[in-house]
Amino acid sequence: MTIENTAAVTQPTTAGPAGDGSAPAVSPRIRRASVSTGRQRANRRENVAGYGFLLPWLIGFLGLTLGPMIYSLYLSFTKYNLFAAPKFVGFDNYIRMFTEDPQYMQSVQITLVYVLVGTPVKLAAALGIAMLLNYRNKGSGFFRSSFYAPSLIGASVSVAIVWRAMFSGGGPVDTSLSFFGINLGGWVGNVALVLPMMILLAVWQFGAPMVIFLAGLKQVPQELYEAAEVDGAGPFRKFRSVTLPMLSSVIFFNLLLETIHAFQVFASAYIISNGSGGPAGMTNFYTVYLYKRGFADGQMGYAAAMAWVLVIVVAIIAFILFRTSNRWVHYAGESK
Amino acid sequence: MSTIEVDQAEAFQVQTQPAPRRRTIKRKTVNTIIWFVVLASITAVILYPLLWLVVSSFKPSSEFGQNPGLIPDNPTINNYIKVVEGIGGIPLWRFFANSLLIALSAVVGILISASLAAYAFARVKFKGVGILFACMIGTMLLPIHVIIIPQYIMFQKLELIDTYVPLILPKFLATEAFFVFLMVQFIRNIPRELDEAARIDGAGHLRIFFSIIVPLIKPAMITSAIFAFIWSWNDFLGPLLYLNSPEKYPLPIALRLYNDASSTSDYGATVAVSLLALLPILIFFVVFQRFLVDGVATQGLKG
Amino acid sequence: MFKSHKRRAFSVAAILMTSALALSACSGGSGGAGGDTASTYDPDEKVTLNLAFWGNDVRAAFYDEAIAAFNEEYPNITVNSSFLGFPEFWEKRQTEAAGGGLPDVMQFDYSYMRQYSENGLLLDLDPYLGNIIDTEPLSENILGIGVVDGVTTGIPTSTNAWAMYQNPKLLDQIGVEAYEGGGSWDDYAEWMQTATDAGEASGIYGGSDWGGRIQNFELQLRAEGSFLFSEDAEPGFDEADLTKFWEESAPLRDGVVIPQQRLEEVYPLAGFDTAQTVSELTWDNFGAAYLGGLGESYTELGLVAPPVTKEGAKDLYLKPSMLHTISAKTEHPEAAATLVNFLINSPEVGAIFGTSRGLPASETQLEGAKLDGLDAQIRDYEESIADRLGDAPPVPIIGAGTLEEKFRQIGTELGFGTMTVDEAVDQFFNEMDVVLNQ
Repeated sequence: MTIENTAAVTQPTTAGPAGDGSAPAVSPRIRRASVSTGRQRANRRENVAGYGFLLPWLIGFLGLTLGPMIYSLYLSFTKYNLFAAPKFVGFDNYIRMFTEDPQYMQSVQITLVYVLVGTPVKLAAALGIAMLLNYRNKGSGFFRSSFYAPSLIGASVSVAIVWRAMFSGGGPVDTSLSFFGINLGGWVGNVALVLPMMILLAVWQFGAPMVIFLAGLKQVPQELYEAAEVDGAGPFRKFRSVTLPMLSSVIFFNLLLETIHAFQVFASAYIISNGSGGPAGMTNFYTVYLYKRGFADGQMGYAAAMAWVLVIVVAIIAFILFRTSNRWVHYAGESK
Repeated sequence: MSTIEVDQAEAFQVQTQPAPRRRTIKRKTVNTIIWFVVLASITAVILYPLLWLVVSSFKPSSEFGQNPGLIPDNPTINNYIKVVEGIGGIPLWRFFANSLLIALSAVVGILISASLAAYAFARVKFKGVGILFACMIGTMLLPIHVIIIPQYIMFQKLELIDTYVPLILPKFLATEAFFVFLMVQFIRNIPRELDEAARIDGAGHLRIFFSIIVPLIKPAMITSAIFAFIWSWNDFLGPLLYLNSPEKYPLPIALRLYNDASSTSDYGATVAVSLLALLPILIFFVVFQRFLVDGVATQGLKG
Repeated sequence: MFKSHKRRAFSVAAILMTSALALSACSGGSGGAGGDTASTYDPDEKVTLNLAFWGNDVRAAFYDEAIAAFNEEYPNITVNSSFLGFPEFWEKRQTEAAGGGLPDVMQFDYSYMRQYSENGLLLDLDPYLGNIIDTEPLSENILGIGVVDGVTTGIPTSTNAWAMYQNPKLLDQIGVEAYEGGGSWDDYAEWMQTATDAGEASGIYGGSDWGGRIQNFELQLRAEGSFLFSEDAEPGFDEADLTKFWEESAPLRDGVVIPQQRLEEVYPLAGFDTAQTVSELTWDNFGAAYLGGLGESYTELGLVAPPVTKEGAKDLYLKPSMLHTISAKTEHPEAAATLVNFLINSPEVGAIFGTSRGLPASETQLEGAKLDGLDAQIRDYEESIADRLGDAPPVPIIGAGTLEEKFRQIGTELGFGTMTVDEAVDQFFNEMDVVLNQ
C-alpha cells in the first residue's frame, strides 16, 4: 500500500488538475489498474481535502459575494435610484462615463496620479523602515508601534481634523517650509497642493505594509546572511542577493494589494473633503465620485457601471502583475 | 546550502580570526547609536500629527477652526468629561464593549477560515484551484459600496438586521481575501520537504495543516490577527447599515455622533473620543507585535 | 432592540377604536388606511415605535426629554429612538428603502420628500389631519408645505427663511457700520467692499460669494416673478439667466469676498463661523450653529433681510427646516400619528427644543418655546419679513439636493478661477440634464 502511495505522490504533478487518464488499453490490467486507481484515489483525496478546507470560503463566496457581484453587474446596465425597480438602459451608463462626464475623466486622472506616485513611495518607505527595524530587536518594539500608530486612526474623522490642521495656512507644515524660505500657504484649499497632501497621507500610513515586510524579513533564514557574509558580501550585495529574493513573495503581495487599495481610496478623501471631493474636484477620487453618484445622487446604476470599469482595469493590472511575477518572485517552498 | 557547511565556516572563522574586541564593540555601539538617532528623528516627524491630536483634545471645540498651533489657548478637560458621559444615555464603555465583542469575534473567525482556505489554495492540488484562486483575488477588486446594497437586502430578508450576525458571520466565511492571500504567500514560502516528510510518516492534509503549516506561519497569523482586529475596530459602514439600536453601536458610529455638520460640530469631543478609541487597538498592537520578532521559519530548517 | 410586535386581531382593535368617540372628529374617512376606524387611537394597546432622527448628542438629549414627556401622556407607547449624523442618516434610509424597512416615525428633510413620497414609502397623513393630528395651530401655508402631488406625507416641525447674518463684534473691530438689510444687490456688494477694505489686513472680509448658493439665484428669479423649478421639474430659467447671475457676481470674486482658498480650509464651516467674514446669506436657523462655532467670545449676531432685486417683490418664502413623516409600512399608523402630533404641536416639546430645529411652525408649540436672545431675534425677523413672503415653491424636485451641491461646487471653481462662467453654465445644464432624466 505504502509503495503505491509513494509512487502516486512523487510523480511529477505540475499541472493543476491531476489525472492524466492515459491508461493504455492493452496492458497487464492488474498492475496498471492498481496504479491508476491509486492515482485516482490520490486525486479524489486531494479534491476532497481541497474542497473540505475551502468550505467556509466557498460558502462565503457563493452566498455573500458572488450573488451581489452579479447583481451589481446587472445594475450597471440599468438606471436605478434604490426606490423604483431598476430600468434597463443597455450601455448608456458606460457611454455617458466616457463621453459626457468631465468629472469622471478628472477623477480617473487624479486616481491614476495617486496610484502611480503614492504606491511606490509608500512601499519604499515601508520596506526601508522595516529593514531598519529588522536590524535590531531590542528597543525596536517602541519604534514599531510608533510607525504603525498612524495607520490606526485610519479612516476616522480625526484623520481629517489632524491632517487639515497640519496642512492649513500657518500650520506646522507651512511653518516648517517657510523656515526654508518656501512659502506655500495652506495646502488644504490649494487646488494644486491638495493631491500631494493626500499622497502624503497615504505614505504616512505605511504601517500596514511595513508590518508585513517585517514579518517577511523575519522569515528569512539567518544562515543565508551568514553564508553570504562568509562569501564576502557587503550590505548592498546582501540586500540584493539575499533579502530581495527571499522577500519577493511578500513584495509582490504588498505591491498588488497596495495598488488595489490605492485605486479604491475612499474614506480618507471623503472625510477630509467632507464629502465634497475637495477644492475643484481634486480629491474626487474614483470611488469617492462613485459613492457620490450612487448614494448621494441616487444614480446607483451609473455607480455600478463605474465600479465595474474599475474592476476590469484593476483586474487587468493584477493579471499583468501575476504574470510577470513568475519571473521575479521566488517562493522558498516551491522549486523553480 | 546545508547547515553543516555553515557551521564549519563559522567554526573556521572563530578559530583563525580572534575578533579584535574593542574595535568591534565600539563600532557596534556607534552603529546602534546611529540607528537609534535615525529612527528617533523619523519617529518624531511621523508622530508629530498624533502628538498634535493628543494635545488638541484639550482644546475647546471653537479653537479648532482658529488655532492650528500645538498649544491650546484655553486648555480644558471638558472634552473628555463630555465624552465619557456618553451619548443619548449610553455610556462610553458600552460602545467600547460592543467594539471589543465584534473585533474579537472577527479575529477568531478570520484566523480559522482564512488559514483553512489558504492551505487549500497553496498546498492542495484539487480540481479548479486555479479558477477559484482567481475568483478569490477577484473579490478584492470590487468596491464595497456596490455590493453592500444586495448584501443588505439578503440579510434583511433573513431578518438579521440590528444583530451582530451580518458583521461577524462573513469573517467566519473568509470573505476578506486579503487574509487568505496573505497566508497563501506565507505558506508558499514553507519548503515542501516538510510536508513530504510528514506524508511519508503517514500524515494526511489535516495533520500537516495543524502540525506543520500553522505553527510555521505564525508571523502571518499574528499579522492577520492584528489587522483583523484593527480593521474590525475601525469598520464604519457595516455597523452603520446593519445596526439600528444606539446601544449596539460600536465606537466608529458613536464617534460620528459627536460631529454632525448640520448642527454644531463638536470637534473637541470628536478628537477626545477618537483618541480613547485608539487606545485599545494601540495596546493590542503593542502587545502582539512582539511576537513578530520570532524568526519561526528558521527553526524548521535547522536539523 | 425592537421587540417583536404583538399582533392583535383587527376586529378587537376595530371595536375598541370605534367606541373611542372622544377622538373622532371625523374627517370624512377619505381614502386612507381602512375607513373611519383608522382615524382614532386606542389608548390601551401596547405599542412600540421606532423613531429616527439626525443630529448630535445635544439633539439626542432633547429627544429623550421629549419622549419622556410624551410617555407621561401616552404610557402605552414605547418609543425606541436612533440617530446618526445627517449624511449617514440618509445613507441608511436609502438602504432601508431599497430593502423595505423604514422606521415608523422619521425626522425628514425637505429635499427628500418628493422622492420618498412618489415611491410610496411615506404614509398618507390626510386621514389623520384634523383628528389625531391637530391642525388648528398650523396655518394653511404650513400644512401645504408637506404636500406632494396632492397627498400630505409630511408635516413641518419648524420653518426658516433666507436671511443675512452679521457679526457685530467683528464689525466693531474693523470699524464698519452694519448693513441695514434689504437694498439692492449692488448696495450689498458695495458694502462688502467697504468692509473688506477695512478688514482685509486682519484677515476679515465683507462676506462670501453669493453666486455659490442656489438660494440666491432662486431669490432673484422669484423677485422677477419666475421660479427655480416647477412641480413638473421644469426649470424657470435658461442659460442666459444663469450666465447673467454668475457674471454679475464675478466682480465679487475679484477681491471683494473671502478668497476661496480660505473657505476650503475651514469647510464645512463657513467663513462666518470662523470669524473671517462679517456677513453671510443663509437660512435663519443657522444662528445657533454660528454662535457655537464662533465660541464664547461672540455673544450676539445681527439678523437682517437679504438684498432684493425689485422693491416690493415677494421673493422670500418659509421653508420647512425639517418635517416629520411616517413610514408607509408602519404597523401602527395611529400611534405613529399620535407621536407626530405630539412632536409638532406640544408646547412642552417647544420648551425643550427652543429653536434648535428652527422656528416652531405650530402656534401652540411656539407659545411653549421660551424665546429669548437669538431665538427671539429669529422670531422677530420672520415677523418683519411678512410682507416679503411669497408662496412657497413646490416640494423640491427629485435631485434637488444633487443640483444644489453641484451649484455649490461650481461656485467654488468660479472662486478658484478654474472655470469660466460659460463653462460653469454648461456644466450645470449638463448636470440638470442627467438629474432630470433619471
